[in-house]
Amino acid sequence: EVKEGKEITQQWEDDWDDDDVNDDFSLQLKRELENNAEKK
Amino acid sequence: IETARIFDFEEFPKRDRVTYMYYTGRLEVFNENFPAADQKLSYALMHCNPRRESNIRMILKYLIPVKLSMGILPTKSLLEKYNLFEYENVLQALKRGDPRLLRHALQEHEDQFLRSGVYLVLEKLELQVYQRLVKKIYFIQRQKDPNKAHQIKLEVIVKALQWLEVDMDIDEVECIMAILINKSLVKGYFAHKSKVAVVSKQDPFPRLNGKPVGS
Repeated sequence: EVKEGKEITQQWEDDWDDDDVNDDFSLQLKRELENNAEKK
Repeated sequence: IETARIFDFEEFPKRDRVTYMYYTGRLEVFNENFPAADQKLSYALMHCNPRRESNIRMILKYLIPVKLSMGILPTKSLLEKYNLFEYENVLQALKRGDPRLLRHALQEHEDQFLRSGVYLVLEKLELQVYQRLVKKIYFIQRQKDPNKAHQIKLEVIVKALQWLEVDMDIDEVECIMAILINKSLVKGYFAHKSKVAVVSKQDPFPRLNGKPVGS
């Protein structure tokens, strides 16, 4: 029972806020910002 | 309340302790005392009967927004195991820094979140989402030119928001940045005239790491 309880408490992450900008969202954001910069 | 001090809390039957911590934990959620809510609901979660999945779900429905408000995310497998899919897009919005997705996620499950009373807690995640978005812009700038990355033109943030169909003008963005700085989600200052936010070269976007957003 205690083991199960521990399992649940381990199901959290606090290091999700990484420096990685290679996900789809970031890459699209990057493209968007670069496009805008060129237009000017 | 006075007599309660005579008893050792741990002497009460386990299920009563869990029930007590669950309800007082919920109260702390409404008081927006998130560290206390976290402590109480986590206690309930640790000590409840692991075979009663519906009880675990009930606790998590409150514990998840509490943890989120302190910058801690549940894993995907936790959401899956306890059927808490209403939080999936909220997590995604935080990870991306996508205010549009956050709004969408809150709208989609509005009834549910309002009924359990966590809607207001989740709404406040918006600040963390903005922090994340500005941080991403900072990293994108840093890839291009590390020397200028700490100068973020407000106009660039406006453009990012436009892309996300969040309609905000430069003054509104300045206001958001001011709140982020005030709440210590961004370390930096403004060059008001040139409409540039200058973020610190050291740890410009401090993590919450289990602390509530500062006031």
